[in-house]
Amino acid sequence: MKFLNNYSNRELNIWAELILNILVSLFFVSKVFTSNQFGGEVLVQIISTTIILAIVYSIVVFGAINALTKREEKDERDYIYELKSYRISYYLSHGGILGIICLIVFNALYQENIGLLTPPKIAMILLIIALLSSTGKSLTQLFNYRKNI
Amino acid sequence: MKEQRIKNQIRRLRFEANEMTQAELAEKASVTRQTIIALEAQKYSPSLELAFRIANVFDVPLEEAFQFD
Repeated sequence: MKFLNNYSNRELNIWAELILNILVSLFFVSKVFTSNQFGGEVLVQIISTTIILAIVYSIVVFGAINALTKREEKDERDYIYELKSYRISYYLSHGGILGIICLIVFNALYQENIGLLTPPKIAMILLIIALLSSTGKSLTQLFNYRKNI
Repeated sequence: MKEQRIKNQIRRLRFEANEMTQAELAEKASVTRQTIIALEAQKYSPSLELAFRIANVFDVPLEEAFQFD
């Protein structure tokens, strides 16, 4: 419990969000790549399992954090760090989308099948970009909070 | 790391105000305790509004609580 005193409610929530992102990424990517299914019923099953596990985790972990620590209103410092993290998240997501566009253009120009461009695979890459961008956001916030303590 | 050029006397003012705790100051200035910790460690420059709120809590002029190096 002493550990909790060193972190604010907001920081603990960000840690929980970061761990959720990492767990979802690991679970989803490992399941998809071990089953080698990029479409169809198996993928739907993997996505539903991931969503259910994420909901259970959120209820348990976020519930415990908010029950054990005092919830505080956001102040100007929280908003500044949030904006900084949104900027990183924006760069990551736009960089990723630009990367996909480059892949599509490259593929169209050189007529090469580089094995990445079926619609389910593009959806998968978009999902990974979303997770990366969210992880980047959480890491930036945590870095800013810890840097100033 | 960029050095903060706004210095403050919050820690001294707190002790002069009957050893006011960081939590009490945070509540009176409507910020989190972590913000007060960062301010006292001279690692965060507050907005003008927050600087005025903190000076008001201690009932001192702004320039007594905050100085620009």
